[in-house]
Amino acid sequence: MEKTFYLFNPGRLSRKDNTLKFVPVDENGKEGQARYLPVETVGQLFVFGSLDTNSALYNFLGKQQVSVHFFDYYEHYTGSFYPKEYLQAGKMQVCQTLHYADPHKRQRIAKKLVDGAAFNMLRNLKYYQSRGKDLEQQIEGITLLQQSIPITDDIPMLMGIEGNIRQVYYTAFDKILNDFNMGGRSKQPPQNEVNALISFGNMLCYTACLDQIYHTQLNPTVSFLHEPGTRRFSLALDLAEIFKPLLVDRTIFKLLNKKVLQSRDFDDKLNRVVLKEAGKKKLIEAWEERLKETIKHRALKKSVSYKHLIKLECHKVAKHVMDMQGYEPFKAWW
Amino acid sequence: MYIILVYDVGQKRVGKMLKLCRRYLSWIQNSVLEGELTEVQLKQLKAEAKDLMEKEDSLIIFSSRNERWLDKEVIGEEKSSTGQIL
Repeated sequence: MEKTFYLFNPGRLSRKDNTLKFVPVDENGKEGQARYLPVETVGQLFVFGSLDTNSALYNFLGKQQVSVHFFDYYEHYTGSFYPKEYLQAGKMQVCQTLHYADPHKRQRIAKKLVDGAAFNMLRNLKYYQSRGKDLEQQIEGITLLQQSIPITDDIPMLMGIEGNIRQVYYTAFDKILNDFNMGGRSKQPPQNEVNALISFGNMLCYTACLDQIYHTQLNPTVSFLHEPGTRRFSLALDLAEIFKPLLVDRTIFKLLNKKVLQSRDFDDKLNRVVLKEAGKKKLIEAWEERLKETIKHRALKKSVSYKHLIKLECHKVAKHVMDMQGYEPFKAWW
Repeated sequence: MYIILVYDVGQKRVGKMLKLCRRYLSWIQNSVLEGELTEVQLKQLKAEAKDLMEKEDSLIIFSSRNERWLDKEVIGEEKSSTGQIL
């Protein structure tokens, strides 16, 4: 059971007695009570506050295979400390790259990813449809767009369809949410509460995928749907597509409709809307709950948490590129 | 597995035991720690603790399948939380 720790308070994190010691520091530079984090159970750290550390700590974290993700004041993802790969496999790397380089092979995977994402979005919409929201129009729209996925013949076209699906999907948000309005996706900066939540949630999903990829032999920089760029782990973006509807969007709907998050949890000064600290904590708590939730896996015949589901998805991609088993995206069956 | 660990060891080994346990569990009170561990991690912890202990020392581990089956009530001051948000 590896845990994620979220550091909001500014402070100093250091290596002490072969484990991690966090000392919070307040505005006046006064040190608070130290808290020891059990390093054996730490999987990753999310750093939101300003953190004071030294290289000795990173050497230790690298050895313990703890990754650290950093976020700036506006909770944008700025980067990760990614410990040395410990599951290197040359053959996997070569196979993965070859699948990227061959347009047909690449499209085979990319199409499956978009198809899986669309399916899971539909699953969300149908759930709320059965709960008395009128989403007929959106369901029809996405189903129609989904049918054109197999006939695309290049990646930009596929990305276009993916964009269209998302556009239709986001119009459903205003109907699903009781008290909030979304009115279209806006980012950098998000213009309203719902957009702020989506941005923050997607970022959590992205880092969760990256963390699971780390525990497989896949290379996180070689992706299929998104173009592998520099300075980013685009394979995590690919995988996040599939899980965003189930993990992020459902959590957001729940938090807003049950009034766990309210307008006072947001800060709307300065021509943008971001989550206040209390709001962030509520979202993270719900997110952690969601990752721990289990479902009965049909093929494996046992209970599997959502977090583990992401890892299984990585294994499926790995098997596909090694030509062991064709990739079929994860589709929520409940 | 959710673990509550209590130790009572000779004065010379108290510090060592605390340092060892803090690598695996969250400290909640003097000589008391708790947290979620896998079976392998628990075995490692036990093995390392055994190396350290001498004949009059004692270490008690309470375990439960999941944190869900555990009611915890704090009376008076909570010395340290075990949450994931700092």
